[in-house]
Amino acid sequence: MEPLTLSTFPRAIVHIDGDAFFASCEQSRRPKLQGRPVVTGKERGIAASMSYEAKARGVTRGMRIADIRKVCPDAVILPSDYETYSLLSKRFFAIVRRYTPDVEEYSIDECFADLTGLRRPLKMNYFEIAARIKKELDAELGFTFSVGLAPNKVVAKIASKWAKPSGLTAIPGKELHRYLAQLPVEKVWGIGPNTTALLQKHDIRTALEFARASEDWVKKYFSKPFFQIWQELNGAYVFELAIGEHETYYTIQKVKTFTPASSERAFVFAQLAKNIEHACIKIRKHKLAAQRVVIFLRTQQFRDFGLEVELTGPTQFPNDILRAVTPAFEELFSPQAAYRATGVILLKLTEAYYGQLDLFGEAIRMQRLSNLYESVDTLREKYGKHTVFLGASFLAHRSAQHDSERGHVPERKLELLPGETTRKRLGIPMFMGEVH
Amino acid sequence: MPSYSELTAVVGFRSTNAAYKLVTQLVDHGWLEKDTAGKLLPGPRFHAVPVLGTVTAGFPSPAEEELADTMSLDEYLITNKEATYILKVNGESMIGAGILPGDMLLVERGAEARDGDIVIAQVDREWTMKFFRKRGRRVFLEAANQDFKPIYPTEELQIAAVVRAVIRKYT
Repeated sequence: MEPLTLSTFPRAIVHIDGDAFFASCEQSRRPKLQGRPVVTGKERGIAASMSYEAKARGVTRGMRIADIRKVCPDAVILPSDYETYSLLSKRFFAIVRRYTPDVEEYSIDECFADLTGLRRPLKMNYFEIAARIKKELDAELGFTFSVGLAPNKVVAKIASKWAKPSGLTAIPGKELHRYLAQLPVEKVWGIGPNTTALLQKHDIRTALEFARASEDWVKKYFSKPFFQIWQELNGAYVFELAIGEHETYYTIQKVKTFTPASSERAFVFAQLAKNIEHACIKIRKHKLAAQRVVIFLRTQQFRDFGLEVELTGPTQFPNDILRAVTPAFEELFSPQAAYRATGVILLKLTEAYYGQLDLFGEAIRMQRLSNLYESVDTLREKYGKHTVFLGASFLAHRSAQHDSERGHVPERKLELLPGETTRKRLGIPMFMGEVH
Repeated sequence: MPSYSELTAVVGFRSTNAAYKLVTQLVDHGWLEKDTAGKLLPGPRFHAVPVLGTVTAGFPSPAEEELADTMSLDEYLITNKEATYILKVNGESMIGAGILPGDMLLVERGAEARDGDIVIAQVDREWTMKFFRKRGRRVFLEAANQDFKPIYPTEELQIAAVVRAVIRKYT
């Protein structure tokens, strides 16, 4: 078979993926859970992550807890402990940054890193560097990672998936065709069901068949992103890494599930209001302001209904956003439906600045709101998140977020050290269980 | 600051144009600045000496400079930040080593255990804290409490972490 390219690693990109990340975070800190089917997401009522033991028993992401108990009665179902997962995620990226500053934090449990040019300073070849990073991750975080080394991001993704879990796969350019020949085209990152259907009409089933298609043909039938995927499948480096710690928030999103599902207008609106308040806390923390808002309601059947609202000016206060989205909420809400979650996304973020004076006293009003929320934020820092809130979200604060909140609080939040409170804990992950 | 003609005389240039070029260079490099009227002012680099702290009654404050060589309690207790975990002690097996139930440990995951280290091992799906002992090629775990027998592993001994510090907070 003819290779797609003759070079090996003109660029050396690794994709690193935590194996069953959340479930592994749980297993690695509690020896009792090792080797057992573990599922996280109890507080949401659906599986957010499952250990390989649980996957082997047929538990899938998004499966309802009741169904999990049917297919896998001995599954250990735990509430998500995002605080701990985030701490471990930060460590994951920090360990990769020991080797290269060029790290893209793609999501909480995966990243890309550029190793190009590190062979000489580290006196190792790219495969050895990738192996070393994997070894340190596995040893220091206490669970396994899958690593793929390739000339670009699209192929690195294929490589990391090649031998999951705990895989370490290198796909040099000149070997690329051997891997792509075995890979169904829909497994390629970015190729969805629609594109797959179109490709199948043209008798393209494997990633190699797509890679071997002519440039003119690809350009004729597909948009730019797919042409770029095609280029990367041929070994080129096209998709740049988005480097840097996630400090720039392009959007701010808050979604919260509640059980039981509700058809009560005031209650669902209160849930939305609470999310808006939370999103605004975050936006103020980052000293940003939003110019556009998306709200959505999720029904019991997991269908989302959303609307986008343009604000009259950038704001970071829930009062403004609530007023602007109320008509949209009225349009979305149907009393016949039962809702299980609401969400808000703040978009078009700019730096908060209310300097400009205007004829209608808008600047003065903003200054007043700004003073008010400065006090609100001070109170929150001192006494906790829900010290003061808007009347609009009262109903959402009155009851627990979930019907039976018992057993839905992560163990770490109950296992406090002297001096810790439910609001503030040491930023170091904890080993759980008895120590004898 | 001198004017261009004064500068021409000081430096020994023949024309003010040469002085102008020199000034432009100095401005570019941050030694000088021009105000809105084009008058020269000392630039940011002109006084670029390290500012160590504010001085009150004419006596220099050495505090800032001295503090540069200190470390936080975190830095003192934690060597490998990414591999350090906390855990709470329940048992009494290390009482002879001064580790009591309720104490908090800082442990380093993935570190290699040396003879005499206190380690967190995984035995029968439980955490256990013991001395790590190495006699030739043989390894075993030993408690600091006569009520506990040494553990001789039948399979490979799973050492999860090495204890680096014990913290006891009195409230």
